[in-house]
Amino acid sequence: MKKTACSVWVREIKKIFSTSKGKILVLDNINLEIKSGELFIILGPSGCGKTTLLNIIAGLEEPTEGEIFFGDKVVFSSQKHIFLEPFERDVAMVFQSYALYPHMTVYQNMAFPLKNLKFKREEIKKQVIKIAQMLRIETLLERKPTELSGGQKQRVAIGRALVRTPKVLLMDEPLSNLDAQLRAEMRVELKLLIKDLGITTIYVTHDQIEAMTLGDRIAILKEGVLQQIGDPNELFYHPKNIFVAGFIGTPSMNFLSAEIIRDKLPIKNRDITIGIRPQDIEIRPPNKGIINVSVQLVEKTGDKYIVYVDYKKQKIVIETSNFSGEREISLFWPKEKTHFFNKKGERIESAKINSFHQIRD
Amino acid sequence: MSERRIKSIFIATGSIFLFLFIITPIFWMIVISFSKDITFLTGGVYQFSLSNYITIITSKSLHMIDYLKNSLVVASITSPIVLIISSFSAYAITRINFAGRRIIPLLVLSISIFPQISIVGYLYRWMGNLGWINSYVALVLPYLAWTSPLALWILLSYFSQIPKELDSAALIDGAKRPKILFRIILPLASPAVLSGLLLVFIACFNEFLFALMLTSDYGAQTVSVGISLFQGLHGEIPWGELMAASFFVTFPLILLTFLFQKFIIEGLTTGAIKG
Amino acid sequence: MKIKCHRRTIIAYIFVSPLVLIIFLFILVPILGTCINSFFQDIPYLPKKFVGMRNYLILIKNPDFWDALKFTIFFTLASVSLETILGISFALLLKERFPGRGILRTMLLIPWAIPTVISARIWQIIYNYNYGLLNYILQYLKISDKINWLGTPQSAFWALVLADVWKTTPFMALILLTGLQAIPEDIYKQAKVDGARFIKRFFFITLPLLRPALIVALIFRTADSLRIFDLVYVLTGGGPAGATRTISVLGFQYYTSADFGMGATVSFITFLIVFGFSLLYIKLWGVRKL
Repeated sequence: MKKTACSVWVREIKKIFSTSKGKILVLDNINLEIKSGELFIILGPSGCGKTTLLNIIAGLEEPTEGEIFFGDKVVFSSQKHIFLEPFERDVAMVFQSYALYPHMTVYQNMAFPLKNLKFKREEIKKQVIKIAQMLRIETLLERKPTELSGGQKQRVAIGRALVRTPKVLLMDEPLSNLDAQLRAEMRVELKLLIKDLGITTIYVTHDQIEAMTLGDRIAILKEGVLQQIGDPNELFYHPKNIFVAGFIGTPSMNFLSAEIIRDKLPIKNRDITIGIRPQDIEIRPPNKGIINVSVQLVEKTGDKYIVYVDYKKQKIVIETSNFSGEREISLFWPKEKTHFFNKKGERIESAKINSFHQIRD
Repeated sequence: MSERRIKSIFIATGSIFLFLFIITPIFWMIVISFSKDITFLTGGVYQFSLSNYITIITSKSLHMIDYLKNSLVVASITSPIVLIISSFSAYAITRINFAGRRIIPLLVLSISIFPQISIVGYLYRWMGNLGWINSYVALVLPYLAWTSPLALWILLSYFSQIPKELDSAALIDGAKRPKILFRIILPLASPAVLSGLLLVFIACFNEFLFALMLTSDYGAQTVSVGISLFQGLHGEIPWGELMAASFFVTFPLILLTFLFQKFIIEGLTTGAIKG
Repeated sequence: MKIKCHRRTIIAYIFVSPLVLIIFLFILVPILGTCINSFFQDIPYLPKKFVGMRNYLILIKNPDFWDALKFTIFFTLASVSLETILGISFALLLKERFPGRGILRTMLLIPWAIPTVISARIWQIIYNYNYGLLNYILQYLKISDKINWLGTPQSAFWALVLADVWKTTPFMALILLTGLQAIPEDIYKQAKVDGARFIKRFFFITLPLLRPALIVALIFRTADSLRIFDLVYVLTGGGPAGATRTISVLGFQYYTSADFGMGATVSFITFLIVFGFSLLYIKLWGVRKL
């Protein structure tokens, strides 16, 4: 019963909410091209519109404008007045709260979609057991959701989604309700499972670690506007703006304001922001580096040190594996690892920046 | 005396007072129903007897059984129908964002304040023209409307607590709205549904004015009407038999209430507090 | 935005339509109809005739109407006040833990569960001049002579009030009990520690926090009292000689004496009064948005 996965094309999707306080633009010209079989992440802080976007793709909410294609099929088009119900789109969704039917057993929960498709009882049974075994919950089939642990509930939710072998799998922060250790375990399992099944998956989260470890490609969303789309490496090494740069990576990137002294750029671009990742900063004895700083706090996590320093009232964080605990130090970082951003927060290619620049306070 | 002591005294006296307050009329009804002759207070002697009960059950001209039957039929038809109608409305109101979402609950609530007399006159004419006077239809239809606020409020309050994500999941799983209502929401709301059924059922028994005006004889008259019209063969009120009839009706109602008191109280208080 | 009128909304309207239809047909239309009929003269043997405000003018000049109105209002005042005081007392009582509390709480439902008509009959026999329980107790305890409870306007008034209070106080107590239980115990503990005695606690903590539930209960109970019919009709029939006629009973009597137009007029006025009072309450006490 294996269906071919399909691509998803989100074109110029806009969503405006009319509230008593006026109109709110929740999603602004979203364009995404998700490849067939890809594990695509939509990442962003709370309230950025990612769940709305997912609901729109699912057909649970209606966009104000735009088009959505699943493969060649138009699933939504504002111009042509086409709107397919969720069920007609052949999507499946896993909710953050799992949304399991509390009064049905695990088996009945997983069988529900197939019953709606009018499958025969034996076929249903076969399919449910097959998926249950894949998720290792076959022993739980007669239990009710209230009797299950968080991790088990989550598997059932995934099982219910997979049982129809949908064209597109949507996941709304499925791991947020699990504790840290379980979350890490499930991440791995989930990735293996999805890759194994080869279903096109769109996964929404606010956790950038999750995004970076799971995703083939990630789209970062902020207040309804797409910031950047790319694979984890691109986002990490070439963030397009300050927001993306600060959002990806732990501990987050340090930002310092600076000024270009000698330059080949027009005068008005003199003020820039420099970004350096804590891992890229080298600690040196005073006066041997770019700036002198005083250490405020040192945290030791296992084998790494997180050093918090103060530079003219700005805070800088360094991650290093060696630190001997001096109070006054200097910091150094290579130009290749430096990120430059203009006044608007957009990335400037370092090639355009002259080698001379000075840190301003 | 300490506050504690005062408190205990108040509790004791209060409880006794409450108990007597509630029980006395009931007790009296029972006493009279089992007495041969009600003059025992003014010089006669109290004689225990079942004759009143036998009379009301067997006497054809008193029609007690008919009245009971009618009440039962009307209540049994009305309850499930009004619950179903209200479920559909409660579902739409709590789950779909549409224009009437806020107005309809207010409209329905305001109905529970309307005086029956303002409604029944016109209904009488109308039913009369349709030839429906003294039929079950004439009672059931107005009762459906009259008890709907009760049903709607209970269901609204319960439905709104069921997470909407369940609906989303079911929609994605391919269920249509009615299916979602019956397979998912109603099973989860079963305590509320039960409360609603009970409260509406009891309300139908209790209703008086509509039944009084829209029925004309024992063919459709309900228990309330029957008891109000109760007369002896010579025009004097046969108290013994009347009380027997009263207790006969009251006893199952009280039993029902006691058995399902949890649901009834839930239904009554959520209905009122929410309002 | 044009697609807004799509499936979801249509389904919603379909879902609410049976309820709205039933209410429209069997409640709204009749009230409208009653209103319209109040402008007609409608008595036997004469064709129905439009007479404008004439019924209303006749009514205003009719002392029966004013008597009924006065009676209804006084009855409501007496009944609702007593119910509230008793209701709060019972609720306070039942909030405490003591043996037998559960049974008492269950017993609260008894008066509510009994049809009003039956309770009216029971009180009728209790108030009976010759064989009634009340007169018997009065004589037995040598408090007073037999009183013609239902035979004199003054006593009939109180007889009705008592019967109404019996029927409705338990329900009031139940609602208020729930309201009381919603008040966190910690607040009382704090108050006790701060030295507040019972009366103080009651007026400064209990009442204010009970206010929302109390207001709702009062609105419903006042509306119920103003429109009361069942109890009065069966217990006193509006007597003696129309002394205990409430406005609903008055309307009913016009209807049954086949003066349909006047019946409609009184009925519609009743509607306006009850509705008006409720709106007044809401205005005065600002019920919070649902």
